[in-house]
Amino acid sequence: MGGLTFDWGGVLSGGPLEWLELGFLTTLYVTVAGSLLATLIAVVLLGLRISENPVVQWPAVAVVAIFRNTPLLVQILFWYFAGFGLLPAAWHAWINDDHAWAMAPGGVGLLTPEFLAATWGLGVFSGVFIAEEIRAGLMAVAPGQREAALAQGFGHWRCLGYILLPQALANAWQPVVGQYLNLMKLSSLAAAIGLAEITYQVRQIESYNSHALEAFAVGTLLYLAIGMVMGQVLLRCGPGRGTMVHGGRRRGP
Amino acid sequence: MIEFRDVHKFYDKLHVIRGVDLSIAKGQVVVICGPSGSGKSTLIRLVNQLELLSQGDILVDGQSVASLRGRSLRRLRSQIGFVFQQFNLYPHLTAEQNITLALCKVLSVASSDATLRAIELLERVGLADKRFAYPAQLSGGQQQRVAIARTLAMRPKILLFDEPTSALDPEMIGEVLAVMRDLATSGITMLVVTHEMGFARELADLVVFIDQGVILETAKPSDFFLSPQHPRARQFLRQLLSPLHSAND
Repeated sequence: MGGLTFDWGGVLSGGPLEWLELGFLTTLYVTVAGSLLATLIAVVLLGLRISENPVVQWPAVAVVAIFRNTPLLVQILFWYFAGFGLLPAAWHAWINDDHAWAMAPGGVGLLTPEFLAATWGLGVFSGVFIAEEIRAGLMAVAPGQREAALAQGFGHWRCLGYILLPQALANAWQPVVGQYLNLMKLSSLAAAIGLAEITYQVRQIESYNSHALEAFAVGTLLYLAIGMVMGQVLLRCGPGRGTMVHGGRRRGP
Repeated sequence: MIEFRDVHKFYDKLHVIRGVDLSIAKGQVVVICGPSGSGKSTLIRLVNQLELLSQGDILVDGQSVASLRGRSLRRLRSQIGFVFQQFNLYPHLTAEQNITLALCKVLSVASSDATLRAIELLERVGLADKRFAYPAQLSGGQQQRVAIARTLAMRPKILLFDEPTSALDPEMIGEVLAVMRDLATSGITMLVVTHEMGFARELADLVVFIDQGVILETAKPSDFFLSPQHPRARQFLRQLLSPLHSAND
């Protein structure tokens, strides 16, 4: 091996540049779609988990156990190869058809087996973690809060909605943001089922012109940029800034 | 107004309230005192069913609370104010929002009316300027006064106080007691668990002494403080009034 030499032109021009743009957009889209799905799944799981009815609690406990304790790569492979096969044949044909309306800006198809399996896999996996983290935030709310609400005549769900959840979200917001960032980074695993996101494209450049160092450097920077922006946006949108008490100490102004 | 009928409370095998009978008339101010762990807090938490009865019943305005569930239980609770030792203000809401939340969401009061009521009550407890302050920005005494205002906003028939000054620094106890004195003379029914014997002596119609889940003495404050009948009550008062000199008695 000689000294380090860089040829950025081999990555930032022509075909490789187009691939990287496509990969960047695909990572963005699968992150957004996965995050929305994860949020929905977290809400449903949390609702089941904290309901007063044990019959609906247990399925939620089981789902959390399964998806939290198995590798995401295995889950994505499962959804793509096995899960997709379980759908009715008519759905297969429909998904594999061309859909002009499902083409996102930049020419990324959203209605493809790869995109759907990746979105679903990331959404379920992250949703489980987010639900558990909000539940932890809920357990960190002082028991007196619930008592005060009950004493005022609030019922279970309204007490949750108006008093406990706003505090739980504020408690849990940092780790929850971490989960959304994880989802973005873990979308690189979808390269394994052929979703043409950043990592997939980087490897394609590497096998096309052997510019491994440059390609991985650019790919890493793209993840870093998305992560920094996403983290800042989520933290700024976060609840309860500057007003919550923790252990009697004031946070913020 | 409130009638305890052979009330028992068990936590598993632990028998914390053991057959309490007590009758409180409308407008009476009753102070419950007793040593720590005697069941005082449990007793008033049974009234609005923050603790469920194990046996016996409590009648509030003639209505049995033992059988209440769901909507009727929530309605009863909204008519009984409860002031906690730890204030339990909602930390994510301002003083004003703490007062208006249940008004709007439980009693369905219009939000403009709720705000007016909040302003008026904050003024009454001397905190008109703290409308937009969050609980973390208030002292303990201020928080407890907001908590009392929050309770009063619901226009309760009965007020329950669970050691409202026990978590406060000594110099803040006075401001809370002053608000409570106002209330005690306003004709509302009050059930107060407290160690503030000054409050009991001055404002109570009745003092109830409880130990190990049993009422040992029920008396007018003048009688209770001058000549307590039960030996445990005498010992308790001695400890309370001169803690330094009671250890060897």
